[in-house]
Amino acid sequence: MIELKEVSFSYNGSKRQTLSHMDFKIEEGESVGIIGANGAGKSTILKLLVGLELNYQGSIMINHLKVEKKNLQEIRQKIGYVFQDSDSQLFMPTVYEDVAFAPRNYGFSKEQVDKRTTQALKSIGIEELQDRQIYRLSGGEKKLASIATVLSMKPDILIFDEPTIALDPRNRRRFINILNSLNGTKIVTSHDLDLIYDTCDRTILIADRKMIFDGDTKTILQNNDLLESNGLELPLSLQKRER
Amino acid sequence: MNKIDNAIKTIHHMDYQANYNTYFKKIHPFVKLLTTIIYIILLTSINKYHLVTTLAMSIYLILISIIGDVSIKNAIKNLKAVLLLLGILGIANPILETNVITYIGIIPVTIGMISMFTLLLKGIFAILASYFLILTTSIEEICFALKMTHMPNILITVVMLIYRYMIVFLKEVQRIWVAYQMRAPKQKGVQYKAWGSLIGSLMLRSIDRAQTVYESMELRGFHPDTFFIPKEKVDKKSWTYCFFILILLIILRFIPIFEIIGNICI
Ligand SMILES: Nc1ncnc2c1ncn2[C@@H]1O[C@H](COP(=O)(O)OP(=O)(O)OP(=O)(O)O)[C@@H](O)[C@H]1O
Ligand SMILES: [Mg+2]
Repeated sequence: MIELKEVSFSYNGSKRQTLSHMDFKIEEGESVGIIGANGAGKSTILKLLVGLELNYQGSIMINHLKVEKKNLQEIRQKIGYVFQDSDSQLFMPTVYEDVAFAPRNYGFSKEQVDKRTTQALKSIGIEELQDRQIYRLSGGEKKLASIATVLSMKPDILIFDEPTIALDPRNRRRFINILNSLNGTKIVTSHDLDLIYDTCDRTILIADRKMIFDGDTKTILQNNDLLESNGLELPLSLQKRER
Repeated sequence: MNKIDNAIKTIHHMDYQANYNTYFKKIHPFVKLLTTIIYIILLTSINKYHLVTTLAMSIYLILISIIGDVSIKNAIKNLKAVLLLLGILGIANPILETNVITYIGIIPVTIGMISMFTLLLKGIFAILASYFLILTTSIEEICFALKMTHMPNILITVVMLIYRYMIVFLKEVQRIWVAYQMRAPKQKGVQYKAWGSLIGSLMLRSIDRAQTVYESMELRGFHPDTFFIPKEKVDKKSWTYCFFILILLIILRFIPIFEIIGNICI
């Protein structure tokens, strides 16, 4: 369970507030989309959840643990975070090594590490990439690999920041299927409202530092006026249906 | 641009090789580190006029290149800049020490030339030995080995991060360079006015990126205190390897084998 209470935040050294009075609760097993224009603060919320930024006001609880320095290790073991930028996420020489990094760190035996790694690669369908050198992968392949690196942790909560940004239509489709097949709590930020439509039951819209809407995905994604006034557009699939 | 690309490729390739080396990989990293250090110590302790002993020490490198399946030729190619620098540093010797000791044909050989060659070779061999270590051992393994020498965690983390940072930095250089060239296609180099801001943004961006890479490691459970715990003890095979290499090194260093072989032949 994730609970934000009256959370405000501004980046170090910046006078401008990035988030102001965010208040929401995500129950176990929910899949939630966070949408908003560029710079609205979507990535920032995600960073706060895993404690990459700790100087916030208010309270953030993950599974009844407050996000603060002393709880970080426990919290992070439960959350898998796929970065917006895969280049920063991957740092080992090969795909296999990178996917195995987390389980190794959590002290699993060699067989366990191998099992988890292979499983993660398989569930994304990139077994054939396992021995490839990271720097030779295409943007989309890197994205798939970075998703595998967190799946190997088997986290309770999965966080995706713009997951489909580098994926071609086929891999995007594949990703949506994977996402829908995964258990656990899922949070997805994206401009790809079709993705949100296909994967999330609930959607939070943020704009101008604040939460504008929190509720059923279908309701908000059909509300053209609300979306447009916040710099977003109806999902393509719904646009077609309207005509 | 191409040079940067090559540098990145070289580092990654080194990493890659280190992870996919078959036989030599089974030798425990601690032993590899230990033998390399001992090799360098023995090498540097050679008197600067003992060209023959220095030459004999190359046998170790040849051996490693065979069992480690790494190519000396490629190594020299990759390291040519460093080796050139060594050559320049050694050039003072023939100028300072001009006593002639023998002649090859009509060319006088001075003590300075001998010492220059010895120093040059010592430098090259030491660099090659460390290069081979890096080629055959991944950075993580080297870190585990360092841990076994009881180096403090913080220093080991620094070693590892510098290594990772190097790639991050080069990639950033590459990106900025490409971006610059796309918008200034006619220029050969970088305009002097642009240097300041280019280097400034390079620093900021690579620090930023290094930070996110570290965050990515942290989020996946990296912590210096738990990460650098050596997972396996040095096994029998590795100790055996260590033992034989040490014997070889001692022979090469302290027994004038070439002279003995020469005497027998004569
Ligand atoms: N490290 C930082 N220091 C200062 N300000 C930052 C930092 N990172 C982001 N910001 C600012 O915070 C605001 C929110 O950024 P954030 O990355 O959360 O937006 P976003 O909703 O994820 O946007 P996008 O859709 O472009 O990914 C932006 O105005 C951005 O300029
Ligand atoms: Mg973002």
